Amino acid sequence: MPPLNYFVVESPDAVGREAYERIAADVLQDLDLIKVIDRLHIYVDPKVPIFVAAGMLRHMPRAIRVSDFANVNPGEKGIVIDIGDETYLAPLLQKLWARFGKESVDQPDRFTIVLPAGVAGEEDLGHVVVADPSETLYKDVIYALQYIAPEGFKVRRQYIRDEKFYYVASEDTLPGDIVETMVRPIFAKMGVTL
Amino acid sequence: MTTLVPVTYKGGVYRHDEIMDLIDDLGGYIVQKHVMAQDVVLQSFVPRDDIDLIREVAKPLAGEVTEAPLVGTEIAVVSPSLEIHHLPHTACDIAEYLRRSGAKTNMVGLARGFGKRIANLNDEERDIINEHDLAVYALGNFEECIRQKFPVLRQGIHVPIVVTGAPDRETLMRIIDPPVEGYVGGVGRIMHRFKRPEELAKLDELVDEVSRTLDARRDDLARDPLSIFPPRLMAIIGERIQEVSMLTHPTPVTAQMEGLRVKLPYDLYADDMRSLEVADGITIGDIADVKPSRMRNYILIRIKPFSETRILV
Repeated sequence: MPPLNYFVVESPDAVGREAYERIAADVLQDLDLIKVIDRLHIYVDPKVPIFVAAGMLRHMPRAIRVSDFANVNPGEKGIVIDIGDETYLAPLLQKLWARFGKESVDQPDRFTIVLPAGVAGEEDLGHVVVADPSETLYKDVIYALQYIAPEGFKVRRQYIRDEKFYYVASEDTLPGDIVETMVRPIFAKMGVTL
Repeated sequence: MTTLVPVTYKGGVYRHDEIMDLIDDLGGYIVQKHVMAQDVVLQSFVPRDDIDLIREVAKPLAGEVTEAPLVGTEIAVVSPSLEIHHLPHTACDIAEYLRRSGAKTNMVGLARGFGKRIANLNDEERDIINEHDLAVYALGNFEECIRQKFPVLRQGIHVPIVVTGAPDRETLMRIIDPPVEGYVGGVGRIMHRFKRPEELAKLDELVDEVSRTLDARRDDLARDPLSIFPPRLMAIIGERIQEVSMLTHPTPVTAQMEGLRVKLPYDLYADDMRSLEVADGITIGDIADVKPSRMRNYILIRIKPFSETRILV
């Protein structure tokens, strides 16, 4: 695993600490989140019982526009969109169908879309936002933490905003001041204020 | 009397029927047959003296005969839940490795096996685990959790138990009271496939621990033998009850150490089963208990020991 800038797992149980280090690394790798998470600090104590994961995200990925993966070539007969990377082809087609109607969107082969010149107008197709990866990223990060946390820890509180996130879980009811008593000190260790 | 030893035959589909016939002719039994594309795996019991003969016959067919200590056993792999936390790794990897050694494994995912405070075992889970020859408990990473949870998860289980967990073997032995039959440390909740040499070594250790436990049970059985050898009863049932051959289960009749699980509905077939003659004037009902299994509507046959029936088939 290519290292995060900060990755610490703390636990009073030495064997458990080592195991959780491996679990966290495996899960982040499996879910392809290593590039997304910058810092991560996990504290787990089964005696309390409590699981706290706090960290920072790297810069959020920006929205994907048509020009990022395709060339738009306006011609006399129509506008030809030449697809370079198929990853976002399906959401692009959805957008085009919704805007111009299915009958106006012609796709002679996998990598080409042709729009009639009149329909698309003067509009700059290259700037159309096709997908926003950050939308699902939040969900992915929380899912990963849920996956890392011990299964019995069903009571949880989660937060993700402005590149900071935390996830607190326990078997028992969480005390109301858990964020002040447990989460803030962990952020402080990473040199960040919540 | 010839001693039958558990072996696995691995070879191609081509002419594998000759090997099956040979095992049959030698007085051995085939407990399980797997055909996977071009390959065949036969889990069988064969006379010890004839293993070399089988090897010789299998040589031109590129077949391979290896000892498989767990053939003829049915093992429950108990996972605290069927959530992504425990599956597919650890629980499935353990089950697969045990199968490679010849065991028939069943995965038992508990409804509430997680959480120190809320973990429990319901009657159905308990009865199903008790229908096996041995249960492998795949537990997690924390000593504290195993200490608190395990007494609840083993409640009412009377089959031998082998526990796996992340704490080392000595710690497991210290925190589990009363002791269980086997311990394998260093295998906790793992989120990747077991593939490193040290991880595979742990699985080998588990197989050793399981076979040691089952060997102890086999020694007990040798002192007071069963009225009939389960694979032999299995062969008789397969021959006499036609419906068995029509079942699509991978193992329509599963051999256990002290009985069989027949995957036919109990209500319809229990009486036929009890009255089935295994030898002159001896029926299954005389030498075994035919009971409903808690697993679906199957039939569970528990063979009685010689000391009880005074019959040895």
